[in-house]
Amino acid sequence: MIDRREQALTYLLLGVFSLIALVPIAGILLTALQAPGEVASFGAFNGVHLENFATAWDEGNFSQYLRSSVIVGVSVVVLSTLLSILAGYAFGMMRFRGDQALFYLFLLGLMVPLESTVVPLYYDLRDLGLTDTYAALIFPQVGVSVAFGTFWMRAFFRSVPRSLVEAARLDGSSSWSTLWRVVLPVGRPAVLTMMVLVFMWTWNEFLLALVMVSDESLRTAPLGLAFFSGRNTTDFALLAAGSVIVATPVVVLYVFLQRHFIRGMLSGAVKG
Amino acid sequence: MASVSFESVSKRFDAVEAVRELTLAAADGEFLVLVGPSGSGKTTALRMLAGLESVSEGEIRIGERVVNRVAPRARDIAMVFQDYALYPQMTVYDNLAFALRRRKTPKERIDEQVRRAAAALELDELLERKPGQLSGGQQQRVALGRALVRDPQVFLMDEPLSNLDAKLRVQTRGEIKRLQKEIGTTTVYVTHDQVEAMTMGDRIAVMNHGRLEQVGTPAELYDEPANVFVAGFVGSPGMSFVPAAALGLDLGVPGETIVGVRPEHARTWAEGDSLLGPLDGQAQYVEALGRETFIGVRHDDETRLVLCVEGRSAVQPGDSVTYGLVREGLRFFDPDSGHARRRVRSRPC
Repeated sequence: MIDRREQALTYLLLGVFSLIALVPIAGILLTALQAPGEVASFGAFNGVHLENFATAWDEGNFSQYLRSSVIVGVSVVVLSTLLSILAGYAFGMMRFRGDQALFYLFLLGLMVPLESTVVPLYYDLRDLGLTDTYAALIFPQVGVSVAFGTFWMRAFFRSVPRSLVEAARLDGSSSWSTLWRVVLPVGRPAVLTMMVLVFMWTWNEFLLALVMVSDESLRTAPLGLAFFSGRNTTDFALLAAGSVIVATPVVVLYVFLQRHFIRGMLSGAVKG
Repeated sequence: MASVSFESVSKRFDAVEAVRELTLAAADGEFLVLVGPSGSGKTTALRMLAGLESVSEGEIRIGERVVNRVAPRARDIAMVFQDYALYPQMTVYDNLAFALRRRKTPKERIDEQVRRAAAALELDELLERKPGQLSGGQQQRVALGRALVRDPQVFLMDEPLSNLDAKLRVQTRGEIKRLQKEIGTTTVYVTHDQVEAMTMGDRIAVMNHGRLEQVGTPAELYDEPANVFVAGFVGSPGMSFVPAAALGLDLGVPGETIVGVRPEHARTWAEGDSLLGPLDGQAQYVEALGRETFIGVRHDDETRLVLCVEGRSAVQPGDSVTYGLVREGLRFFDPDSGHARRRVRSRPC
């Protein structure tokens, strides 16, 4: 049992942290709804002006940028999910020579920041003729995501009771069908969580897009937003509306999948 | 159906030898129980037979075929796991049908076999449920059904009753035994519970520290234990051990010989019962089980014995107890090797 004082303190702390998280978001939303060019201060409110979103959408060319972000995001999520499941299954369920060393090699991808490799990566991709293509945005991010995804899926596969896999083997299942028919259906929350995380990171990636593409039609939403804010340095309402447009897809995705997301984050934390 | 045999089989995990030179066979249709304490190697032996562990040395045969390098799915065996290992996302029907589908059995045949197994295990009403919606006992029956539906050459069972409560365990072990007799499939059953082993096995193999200590029928193990370990492990309570010299009786064996006494062969003293004695001790504990009462007696500072009294007893902990031993029931063991020295038939409590 928690006594009243402890409960009050818990709510106070949660309240403070919620405010810290929510105030900037509420500020952006309120700013986005203000009359263009009449923003008194950040987060101030002087009526609802939904037309800001339409203006930002048109002026900022966000339909094009969001399309690019969706193409890149979906491609990265699909490819890295597939590869992470397969690699995680191998590292989590199979014993083979050098598995430990190889796994730590994968982890290097998690440890080395993209900022430190982006310049040589640019020259490599330029030599391959891939700069200014979606491939220049997709493949490097698949590489980074697979490092995390393999680590994530390996942890999930290790938490699956061994007897489940052994039962499937005895029932005549190959490694391939054991993965897809027996193990993976159990791990849907883990896979969905990984997909949401990878999608969020890919969606928000800025530096890679900035370095790899100069063609405006290939710009992703965060890059487009940066150019948009460069053109509208004083119109806070339009800037905020642009930010809301760029952030909305990820928020919507999270809201739809949050039940699985939380279950995935907690899987293995408590005994089922 | 097929026989199963281990021929000088060893299993090493790095420096640890989990199974040592195991030579053991189960005849076609036999119910063989591997029993032993934790770490005795019984589960490892079963897993090698299933193909879930490799064999370090020796040969395992199912029928005439050496299966050391045969994949688990090609061994034609079915296994019931301790935690049942049911597929949680599938219904009971799909759990039962899974192996048949993997073997590309025609749909009608799958349906027929699944429904037959479900009927045999009274699972008909549960076919559309998922494992999470079943009680422990029902899950256990689904696990049995999954093995049954395959009609394999050999059933392997790894402590399948250990997660059930005591009452359900007794009920289910009778059910498994009945089913096995009906179907006649060779079964290798692993348990650490010697009561389970004694009540279910046609023969029992007792293992300890990776070695096979003795194999025989339940009666053989109980009456003629090969060594101190088997004598102490089999029976509930197990056999008590006393150096012959400590008893002060003329037993016709050297004083250092270890005398093994089962509870039913140590009784409270009554003249004319032709018991060896009288011996004096002090009751340390009294376990009244209704039909019989076990009295733990301290014979001297070093030795303890368990007495069996039919029905109830007036003896209380701390009371002095005068008792005697049934000569025919005594077993003698070498003090160095622990091996049995002389064997005499016994009679019930």
